[in-house]
Amino acid sequence: MRKFVVAALLAAGVAALASAALGSTKSPARVSSAGSALVTCGKTRTIGLAAPITGPAAAIGNQQVRWAKYYVKRWNAQKANKNKQIKVISGDTQLGVDTAFAVKVAKSFASNSKLLGVVGPAGSQEVVASTSSYKRAGLGYVSGSATRTTLTDGHTDGNRRGYFFRTVPNDGAQAPVVANWMTKKLKWKRVYIIDDQETYSQGLADGVQKILRARGVKVTRDSISQNDSDFSSKIAKIPSNTQGIYIPWQLAPQAQTFGQQLKAAGKGKIKLFGSDGLFAPGVWKIAGSYDSAFPYNPTDPAVKTYIKAHKGNGEFFGLPSYVAAQVVVGAVTKACADGKATRAEVRKAIAKTNLKTSILGFPVRFVKSGEMRAPATFGVFQIQSNGSFKRIG
Amino acid sequence: MNSTLGQRLGNLSGLALALVAFMFYAVYLSPTQGWTFFFQLTVNGIILGSLYALIALGYTMVYGILKLLNFAHGDVYMIGSFIGFGVLTLLGGPLNPAIPVALLVTCMFVVAMLGSGLLGLAIERFAYRPLRDAPRIAPLISALGVAFFLENSALLLFGSQFRNYDGFDLISYNGIHLGGDNGVFVQYLGVIVIVGAVVLMLALLGLVRWTRLGKAMRAVSFDREGAAMMGIDPDRVIAATFFIGSALAGAAGVMFGLLFSQIYHLMGFLAGLKGFTAAVVGGIGSIPGAMLGGILVGLIESWAKGYLNGNVSDLVVFGILIGVMLVRPSGLLGTPALQKV
Repeated sequence: MRKFVVAALLAAGVAALASAALGSTKSPARVSSAGSALVTCGKTRTIGLAAPITGPAAAIGNQQVRWAKYYVKRWNAQKANKNKQIKVISGDTQLGVDTAFAVKVAKSFASNSKLLGVVGPAGSQEVVASTSSYKRAGLGYVSGSATRTTLTDGHTDGNRRGYFFRTVPNDGAQAPVVANWMTKKLKWKRVYIIDDQETYSQGLADGVQKILRARGVKVTRDSISQNDSDFSSKIAKIPSNTQGIYIPWQLAPQAQTFGQQLKAAGKGKIKLFGSDGLFAPGVWKIAGSYDSAFPYNPTDPAVKTYIKAHKGNGEFFGLPSYVAAQVVVGAVTKACADGKATRAEVRKAIAKTNLKTSILGFPVRFVKSGEMRAPATFGVFQIQSNGSFKRIG
Repeated sequence: MNSTLGQRLGNLSGLALALVAFMFYAVYLSPTQGWTFFFQLTVNGIILGSLYALIALGYTMVYGILKLLNFAHGDVYMIGSFIGFGVLTLLGGPLNPAIPVALLVTCMFVVAMLGSGLLGLAIERFAYRPLRDAPRIAPLISALGVAFFLENSALLLFGSQFRNYDGFDLISYNGIHLGGDNGVFVQYLGVIVIVGAVVLMLALLGLVRWTRLGKAMRAVSFDREGAAMMGIDPDRVIAATFFIGSALAGAAGVMFGLLFSQIYHLMGFLAGLKGFTAAVVGGIGSIPGAMLGGILVGLIESWAKGYLNGNVSDLVVFGILIGVMLVRPSGLLGTPALQKV
């Protein structure tokens, strides 16, 4: 009898394990069901906003939150949209701490059955980490700052076509702008490049390094970690006759510390050149440093109003997130035209986005990979003595 | 010369030989050759190592007296740096200090050391004392729990944003160039950190060797029950040990903020791990060992960052920890534990 009970328990255990395993192999079926679940749109439609609200990248993350919510506020304020209000649920991805936070946010969005589309996440490594959660849930997500080139090639970092879109030019566009400015405007011949070992940073550093070396510039490459605070030994390695240091990082406080330590080491004459990830006026404030950042249309009324409301601080890093919100809200509205929508319908509507004008200064449409069709190029800014960023090219 | 001293000198001579070999490689063979670069890295390493040494002292004191690895110690250091930042902000901030800078910095140190010391007392009282007679794994788990508690409390209280001491606005960029304009640059702040760490360590050594409290500490460390029978209150001695060790960590936290500017709620984890490594390499339980271990870890990290590309310094530091443990399990200045049979 006892043997029978043991055998029965074993059999039950094996069956449970087998069913769990079968369940996991059936996940593609669940993918489609999650994406095709009908949501009654009603008067309020829900979208997600994944951004680093706290953490070392909070300075840029909050710019994204404010710009995205600014669009939603403008949308909700229009009389025509009285019965199609948008509700934003924010998720804090804490970029620079651990990509696990981005995955956690993605999973919480995925489990919210009312949520139809997502703005974000911010970092390329966050996009890579959270892709499976978004895909499994059938959610389309539009980032306003993930610029790594390989995110959209369909194989290097995984395939996310039809799910992932971005309203920002990729690093393939940013690297030439940076390299051109260094060689043609600044006439630099000796450049030091330091990446922060993250996917975003390495991709951009590789791109700039390749172009500079092809043009005969002496390039020395090094790297730091996003956890580093003491750069004194790295700085000691940098020759005094170096003309510029390229730091395509994401953590503006870290760049500020690096600049301070560079100055403390008596090498303050060497110019720093950052990327869009460091576009944080008031946080990174080493006067005279350069930074490349997204294009925008300064004459657009929405931009003017925002700048006025923020006392002259345009917080331009968040600007593409405004467009990302515009894309997601537009797609949700289109999908909800018959009163009901599925996440799959929203994704299809995102892919068919056709904004004839945008605050970026050009029309926004997507190609199959999720990239924008013919985006404008990056701008170059210089940090002023009061910590503001002035566009110089 | 007794055998223990001879063994210690033997260990140090091996270390000295390794250092000379490395120096030869660094100056004559490495792609980044030259004495100036080597000495610059050495100065940076000693400054960083002084911070690690202060953290290591706390580990070593607590281990010496309780045989407990206080994994919350790194987070006490983090709280110390936040207390220093709070004082800095309350007194006008780095750009517009309300009182003279020297007085402000002194206030930051005093309040941070007091605050951290009290925190250490509280940790000992509520997390470790109730487990005094429990199996050794219990306080270890409790220590990990306290570490997470402190990290998450800091996250809740201060958020996860980086805070900037802006130490360079506060104390300026002044320093001296040894050997001309292109020579080794030593920041005055770095000198203050080294001198401060050495003074604190000597004070601690003096306290342990020549005061009643120090004698009581040694007695409790040697035999807690025996000390109690001789009229020493072990709880008070252990509490005092926690207070002193935590106060040193608080001082290290403020020094870190002034030197490297940015502080955040997770900064204690890696620094604590390095401090622990320093204590183990030096010989856990030995105060001079903690200082030596701290300086060594700082030097190795600095040299690794300078001579190797990428960010492999942690790999090298912890690799050396494994190496030291294999060759000399009790650390460079530690004494092998005797087991009663």
